[in-house]
Amino acid sequence: MIWRQGLLILGVVFVADVLQATVLSRLGIPAATPDLLVVAVVALALALGPTEGAIAGFLAGALVDISPPSDTPLGVNSLVYLVIGFVTGFVIHPRDRTVWVSMGLVGLSTAGAALATAAIDALLGSPRVIWSEVPTVVLASALYGVLLAPLVIPAVAWLAARVAPAPPAELRLPPRITDMS
Amino acid sequence: MLSRRLRIALSILVVASLTFIILDLRGGEGPLSSARAALSSIMGGVQSGAAFVFAPLTSFNSWWGTLNAQSQQIRDLRAENENLQLQVRIAENERARVDEMNALLKVSSVGEYAIVPAEVIAVGPAQDFSWTVTIDAGRDDGVEPDMTVINGQGLVGRVLKAFATTSTVVLIVDASSAVGGRIATTEEIGIVSGTGRQDSLDFQLLDPLAEVRSGDALVTFGSKGGRPYAPGLPIGEVVEVTGTAGQLTRVATVRPFAKVSALSIVGVVVQPPRTDPRDTLVPGPGAVVSPPAPSSEPTSGIEVEQPATPAPEVALE
Repeated sequence: MIWRQGLLILGVVFVADVLQATVLSRLGIPAATPDLLVVAVVALALALGPTEGAIAGFLAGALVDISPPSDTPLGVNSLVYLVIGFVTGFVIHPRDRTVWVSMGLVGLSTAGAALATAAIDALLGSPRVIWSEVPTVVLASALYGVLLAPLVIPAVAWLAARVAPAPPAELRLPPRITDMS
Repeated sequence: MLSRRLRIALSILVVASLTFIILDLRGGEGPLSSARAALSSIMGGVQSGAAFVFAPLTSFNSWWGTLNAQSQQIRDLRAENENLQLQVRIAENERARVDEMNALLKVSSVGEYAIVPAEVIAVGPAQDFSWTVTIDAGRDDGVEPDMTVINGQGLVGRVLKAFATTSTVVLIVDASSAVGGRIATTEEIGIVSGTGRQDSLDFQLLDPLAEVRSGDALVTFGSKGGRPYAPGLPIGEVVEVTGTAGQLTRVATVRPFAKVSALSIVGVVVQPPRTDPRDTLVPGPGAVVSPPAPSSEPTSGIEVEQPATPAPEVALE
């Protein structure tokens, strides 16, 4: 089942990255860009578990960094997203995966991602970070993430049930996000 | 606690991320950078396709502002289209009429830029504070790094990386961008640097005693060989001056002519003009943009090279 999970992760992350660069970034939404990648990583981690979440986060971050308009150092987003994927898969017990917990988690993750990338970029000497605008960006990013979550998480859970139906042993607990649909 | 599998996976991934960061910051050419360029090239191609598919959603300046104003969008696009056509016509006629124009108006030719037209197909997320976009023209169309990118309003930015069919453009408002600028009327020069905010640039005069007023227009003074910035392109208008004459930190705030948050069609200057067109391209009362009388022989002064792959057209009739 490993290759099926790999396929699922690659597919979801790829589609999310293309959509984010060509559609979401260009809609002119104020203050921040809806962070579809982070929501997708959280959704994958919820559906597949912490290891797969970390792998998905790493791949998503790498893809963001190599996708053309990006001019950030390769690896920064990988590091941030893999932590998000791992933590999500690790701290959320399958029984706690209600709509509200998932949405709150996505809000925290998107806010954390915006803050962490700004902090790491600044530490690495990027001249771009405007600290006075960081709070706005972080809050807006969290808000958009929370709004995306009810669309993305059930879709990824549904895909995961179709493409990679056998959950890993430590996660063989009944319903996964059934109450979200 | 953590299973062995999870521990191993986490360690590998974290080490890989840190390795990427270190290698990337170290810079230079290597297997990693060429692999990255190859993958970026592929992603650029995918973005071209996706941008074409999602054109109905994104080809307009602002989705939010135009949800219930479709007719406004059409009007805007038509106006932009007419504006671009007008510019092409002006440029074509200009060369044929250049002698009379020079004698009459004491200006030099407007239309000697060779431009590759391109469309913006992807934009970087606002979260990383960078102002970079992907355009659908690349090496195959003659685009190379450090070429100037303009649109109908003025200077947009410069090419940062060129891939096979796409390129990454860093916009003038990006905090890492610095352009040599000249006040159109007084010839005073200085550095125009991006602030990371979409509607403001900082203009630092080289001569702290020089006079600068709000309303002054800035043009590029050009780089050697026209790279990264071709000369004479309008940059923006001074809106505020802070500090008094003589102060060391005398900075003018400049509003760029090009609206960078809503770019769609841009041009890459693949060949700068032989002579600096001075400030003839600046919009406003001083500019020579009166529609030319229909000329008998429209000699092509502006070479609009078509990209090898036709850019997806923004058609909404």
